[in-house]
Amino acid sequence: MEIKKVDEGKFVVPIGPQHPALKEPGHFEFTVDGEIVMDAKVRLGFVHRGIEKMAEQRTYTRDLYLMERVCGICSHVHGTAFTLGVEKLAGVTAPPRAQAIRVIIAELERIHSHLLWLGVAAHEGGFDTLFMYSWRDRETVMDLLELLSGNRVHYSANVLGGVKFDINPVQTDQIRRGVDYLEERTQFYQKVVTTDNTFLGRTRGVGYMSREQAELQGAVGPTARASGVTRDVRVDAPYSFYPQTPVQIVLDDGGDLTARFIVRIKELFEAYRLVRLLLDNLPEGELATRMPRRIPAGEVISRVEAPRGELMYFIRSNGTDMPERVKIRTPSLCNWGTITSTAVGLKLADMPMLLAGIDPCFSCNDRMIRVRRAGEPGVMTWDQIKAGKGGWSV
Amino acid sequence: MDQEMPLKIAERLLQSYLNSFTYPAEGRLDVVIPAEKLVDTVARLIEARWGYLGSITGLDIASPAGAEDEANDQTAGHFECLYIFFSGAAVLVLRVPLAYDAAVVPSICGLIPAATLYERELMEMFGIEVEGTPVKDRLVLADDWPKGVYPLRKSFSGIADADQR
Repeated sequence: MEIKKVDEGKFVVPIGPQHPALKEPGHFEFTVDGEIVMDAKVRLGFVHRGIEKMAEQRTYTRDLYLMERVCGICSHVHGTAFTLGVEKLAGVTAPPRAQAIRVIIAELERIHSHLLWLGVAAHEGGFDTLFMYSWRDRETVMDLLELLSGNRVHYSANVLGGVKFDINPVQTDQIRRGVDYLEERTQFYQKVVTTDNTFLGRTRGVGYMSREQAELQGAVGPTARASGVTRDVRVDAPYSFYPQTPVQIVLDDGGDLTARFIVRIKELFEAYRLVRLLLDNLPEGELATRMPRRIPAGEVISRVEAPRGELMYFIRSNGTDMPERVKIRTPSLCNWGTITSTAVGLKLADMPMLLAGIDPCFSCNDRMIRVRRAGEPGVMTWDQIKAGKGGWSV
Repeated sequence: MDQEMPLKIAERLLQSYLNSFTYPAEGRLDVVIPAEKLVDTVARLIEARWGYLGSITGLDIASPAGAEDEANDQTAGHFECLYIFFSGAAVLVLRVPLAYDAAVVPSICGLIPAATLYERELMEMFGIEVEGTPVKDRLVLADDWPKGVYPLRKSFSGIADADQR
């Protein structure tokens, strides 16, 4: 991006790289004329970790753990996209029970992610009580995930060819109770974000994006659906167990921040419905099937619907036990374009909420970080990187 | 979802001047095109409102070891740029093969502004030159990353070697 000459009366306000809105690094430069934003620029890469390169030097089994660490919020959906792709290359289909469990975990993850987002977005708007309420309630779903997997964030449910753990009747009851509680709470949140005047003052008409703009900018997920774009991989190209449990797409024509709140909250209700439906109709059978260690040469494009939108994995195999190339296209990357175009003309004070509105995930689009401390050499060998030395965090 | 219809439409759109169509998987159509036809092809897709750009992916296809005996264009190492489009469940991949010494593709940002991030990634990670792309700044690599070092090339083995060049 070329640095434009700033005219008299205009200022460039740098925001970030530390904690620009979410507690993740990104750098923004807003050119303001008084209060009004005239131009916006984004610089990413502060958490770039080189995962695509690393994937080429690990076996498929180790890669699965690596992919789960692309993102700390939607770890399961990354693992699922990778697993589904590799299974397709190997010509293996996971058993139905495993597929259903994958979808249950994916929807629980969506619940946790949307509630997390609701809290962050409320906090950016100055509604800290709503932030603390929603994060308190999010603990319910975190506990459920921990109950199933032993972990709150990296549930690591997938293995190549199936899943690691089963869901027993006692856990099923606990999940049902948790979901009932969350549904009741979500009704309250829906009421707040659609009727509270102070809240609507911060969201109604802010960051408006028309359907045409959303399509042109390549927006995905709830950001696109809040502008009326019918785009949801679970509906367009159902995968895993979604063909058996069709998803009702949630759309809103509002195009503003209010619409983005409404879409995500309605998606919570849809997730509760899906979890209940799947628990009622959990197929019996094995949890995993045998996978070959070496994957036949081929190419696959694996698409799944992450909480933030369409996630794509491109995997090229070469007949060995390591992939030739893995390309990850995360939903946050697609949604960045919408920020720089919708920011212009808004007030500077709206920026944190606008940023939070697309629910950006910096780890997802960066994937490598390098920290240099005083006295340390700035150059590292590949072996040092592999050994995790020298301030590279993986 | 119906995958066949969009692919049939895509084939009809493009078949007047392209011929290498393959169906590598169910619901997926691959078309190999030369770099000079890329912008025109994308323009046809946009004009017909065929789906949306899913991603642009670079590939470094290094020549396999021991393939010298039948060294021809097929086995020689080269880059490939994959322009991946989605329309519902249908996937269309435009494959642009590029020789190592002529790794230049035209920018499609004029048609799809959102392509800028992918094009910057191609330049940064593979060293593929994207002609006419609006922004050529670093996207993800560190500011002090050495120039001319492209981490996703198969020949890349670490930045320690690069600094000694």
